[in-house]
Amino acid sequence: MKWIACELHTHTLHSDGRQTLQELAEGAAQLGFDAIALTDHNTMSGLVGKEEVEREYGLIIVPGMEWTTFYGHMVTIGLSEYADWREAMQQDIDRGIESVHRLGGIAGLAHPFRVGSPACTGCFWEYEIGDWNAVDYIEVWSGTFPSIQTDNHRAYRLWTDKLNEGYRIAATSGRDWHVQSDTDEPISVTYLEVGDAACAKQDGSDIQADIEKGASESEQESFAIPEVALIQALREGRASVTIGPLLSMVLEAAGESYRIGSVLPVTKMNESDEKMTATITAKLSVDFSVRPGQWSLAEQTFKLKLCSNLGEEIAVNVIDSTQQSNDTGTLHPKFETSIELPVLPTDLFRKWLRAELWGTVQGAHTRIAFTNAVYFESTAEGGAD
Amino acid sequence: MNALKLLDTQGRVTPEDSRTHIRIPFELNTSCSRLNFRFEYAPKVLEDREQAVKLLQDSYEIYILPEQREQANARAERHLPLKNLITLSLDDAQGYRGACHRHDPLQELFVSQHEASPGLMAGEVAAGSWNVTLSLHCIVTDICDYRLQIWTPEEADA
Ligand SMILES: [Zn+2]
Ligand SMILES: [Zn+2]
Repeated sequence: MKWIACELHTHTLHSDGRQTLQELAEGAAQLGFDAIALTDHNTMSGLVGKEEVEREYGLIIVPGMEWTTFYGHMVTIGLSEYADWREAMQQDIDRGIESVHRLGGIAGLAHPFRVGSPACTGCFWEYEIGDWNAVDYIEVWSGTFPSIQTDNHRAYRLWTDKLNEGYRIAATSGRDWHVQSDTDEPISVTYLEVGDAACAKQDGSDIQADIEKGASESEQESFAIPEVALIQALREGRASVTIGPLLSMVLEAAGESYRIGSVLPVTKMNESDEKMTATITAKLSVDFSVRPGQWSLAEQTFKLKLCSNLGEEIAVNVIDSTQQSNDTGTLHPKFETSIELPVLPTDLFRKWLRAELWGTVQGAHTRIAFTNAVYFESTAEGGAD
Repeated sequence: MNALKLLDTQGRVTPEDSRTHIRIPFELNTSCSRLNFRFEYAPKVLEDREQAVKLLQDSYEIYILPEQREQANARAERHLPLKNLITLSLDDAQGYRGACHRHDPLQELFVSQHEASPGLMAGEVAAGSWNVTLSLHCIVTDICDYRLQIWTPEEADA
């Protein structure tokens, strides 16, 4: 398995961006991204000639389009062709999402709580969603230094509420990147986890072409990963979001491993069998070596939290391995720990679990990183599909 | 060289027309090498500052939580000036040919076989039914006038 650094929300001068695809790709590559999604407003014309740009910068460019409508902005990625954004009525965005799915794409709510018209037309999500199962992801972090913005806090809460209701929805970040300009604000990354098997298992001519192209024309390892595998990763919630180190989590129960995005089956015990409940161990890692030189955090002790529908379950300290690396010269500083999850009383059920990394960034106490969820499914009462 | 004028239409819209589309169909009788568009609307900006701030404060009632509203009102300046936004998208008989989602109140656009304005898709300019859609994302001024002209650079076959 491999984590791919992605920027999932970008624009060029094919809509209202002030950069060409080439300039965008160059900027993304310089910032250490492996992949970007081009999500121009209501057009896919900016993707013409993308293969050449991908080769030049060793960057995957996932096709996409931001539905820029009257009642919300919806990022759609991985589509083979255009889906019509103009038909969407406030009450039937479900049909729009369905049309995106039919074309092989996935759909996410873009910056759902950004102030809407007339300040930013259609920017606030006002669609009534009939079936939240259809929503693939929510862009909970929008812009630079997203973790301190109040509108992003609302989006994060919306995501948490939907998880609590039993929906399996992924969460991402997106810079909504319109122009090449230097910023002192932290830049967020959505890491998508791509399996070695995922590349081979997929079928379809486009992927085959990508693999051949990657093998023959690029030395870049990441370039050989078909964009379909990235879309599949996000569809399944194999995502971890950060403004710095890469946070990952694997749950182990009864000899099996459950990665982010997967479903851990929980056999419901008789009340008398309480002690038989299998223990679940969370294996956590904070990798400070990712995108070296592209971000920095002040020396500190971070807090690693495990959160679920039951609230914050556990918090542990994380020693700043970046500083360790300076002292010892270690090349790959990584903090790793195993935590046994508390056994719950029989009347409580854990629906989902995610990890969060907290600390101080530019003077603000804030989330630095969070994983997507591992879901729990009771054999007695199933969650939402 | 005579250009073939296909369409020259204008209209007036008001804030009540916000969040609607205007479909403007036109026929292309013979295939041609290039289609030109000139789209403009005015005014672009709501100059009345008091009116603009009022509109913003009304929108904050909807979009901003009560505990943050006071701060938002104090910072309303960051969202000024308020602008009208009308965008153009294009369809040929086969389907979507792209959109030009940007704030320019004057846009001179074209499509041709191998090139097109940013946002539009190059490709065959085939005879048939075409459509321009004007999407009125937001009209903030009391009135806003638009004009759309479409022409081909060639003479029509007689
Ligand atoms: Zn947007
Ligand atoms: Zn955007």
